[in-house]
Amino acid sequence: MSDQPYDPAADSASDYDRLFYPFLFAGQSSADEVLAQVRHSTIEKCREVIALRRATLARQCDRIVEAGVAMAHAFAASATLFAFGNGGSTTDAQDLVADLLDPLLPGARPLPAVALTNDIAVVTAVGNDVGFDNVFARQVIALARSGDIAFGISTSGESSNVLAGLEQAKKQGLLTIGLAGYDGGAMVRSAAVDFTLITASDYVPRIQEAQATVYHALIAVVYAVLADADVPGRRSTS
Amino acid sequence: MSTQERHDELRAIVEERFASSIDVPADFFPREAERIAAACWAMARRFHRGGRLLAFGNGAAASDAQHVSVEFVHPVIVGKRALPALALTNDSAALSVQRAASDPAGPLFARQLRVLARPEDIALGLSPDGNCQNVLQALAQARAMGLLTLGLAGGSGGAFAAAQLDFCFVVPSADPLVVQETHETLYHILWELVHVFFEHEGLL
Repeated sequence: MSDQPYDPAADSASDYDRLFYPFLFAGQSSADEVLAQVRHSTIEKCREVIALRRATLARQCDRIVEAGVAMAHAFAASATLFAFGNGGSTTDAQDLVADLLDPLLPGARPLPAVALTNDIAVVTAVGNDVGFDNVFARQVIALARSGDIAFGISTSGESSNVLAGLEQAKKQGLLTIGLAGYDGGAMVRSAAVDFTLITASDYVPRIQEAQATVYHALIAVVYAVLADADVPGRRSTS
Repeated sequence: MSTQERHDELRAIVEERFASSIDVPADFFPREAERIAAACWAMARRFHRGGRLLAFGNGAAASDAQHVSVEFVHPVIVGKRALPALALTNDSAALSVQRAASDPAGPLFARQLRVLARPEDIALGLSPDGNCQNVLQALAQARAMGLLTLGLAGGSGGAFAAAQLDFCFVVPSADPLVVQETHETLYHILWELVHVFFEHEGLL
């Protein structure tokens, strides 16, 4: 910049860079190449998520139906759903809760659901005082009743606070549902989890995108079953 | 109806949902790949200038604003640098004040932008139907302040289509859940591929 003192060292460094790293200073043709590379990657990533959704449907369709039916029966018996996860899985948990509290399906009734990451006072209090592994389990102890639903999301299947939340939930008699990527990790091996639905990939963004389809499909099953007249536990509306 | 018949009916519901979640992105991404690449480049240049991503949306789209934000701040892929991003939906105290205001649709996100945003920043607004008035007002505010503006909408694009955004991506589906899933892939890709441009300093 013109208002900076002249620095010969910086100038020669720049000449050096231009000589040995010409790609750093490439012109329009390089821009076209990089843009072409990014276009190609975009289409590849789209193919990856489509392949993962196809594989998930092929392997998990029956389990999704069974988990959705179990959730519907719990909701029919007045369950509240508690959803939790870390990072992007937190926002997916909040999305699931929003979809249940304010359903977009025509004629669907709102269902009671709470995301366990909404109260930053509780999350930081438990995290600071006891440890981050306990942020969900502590809230399950305080909030959940037997017959409720715990819904834990972990792309690795290894998140210790999500597993602790599901294990505490099982001790208290909740229905426990987990979403996991990779091979299902510790979640699929845990006896505390009634249904672990796996989106088998080792790449987190695609896992999350396929998990969104899984919980959207679960919601569709829940509302279809709740519309049946003979749902066990359904209370009289009269 | 037998249990097996009912199970098969429910299977068909699941299959139908997955089919939409396959068909819509299969059409969307190849068609939009060129503009997605251009958006990544424009975002990378903003980040290079010290800009930040400011994301916002209502309801389920608020969770997407937070999702895209955490991807940039805490990259899940080893070696990618942390980039500044904020979701305008995180502060429940601020949001409840604004919701209590006399015109709740008006000031919500635009007011935050007026206080928080800098001209070099990036505004990313999400609306499943493209008609969320508070998101549109915030994008207009962002545009007036010189921010790069991105809108993620669905359906016919609603009012987003006419909002003079730098980049408006419309997922052509009437199903808000499929729109949202496609948005999730879109903002993941924007985040993943912004980083490609940092490997080519001469382009920033």
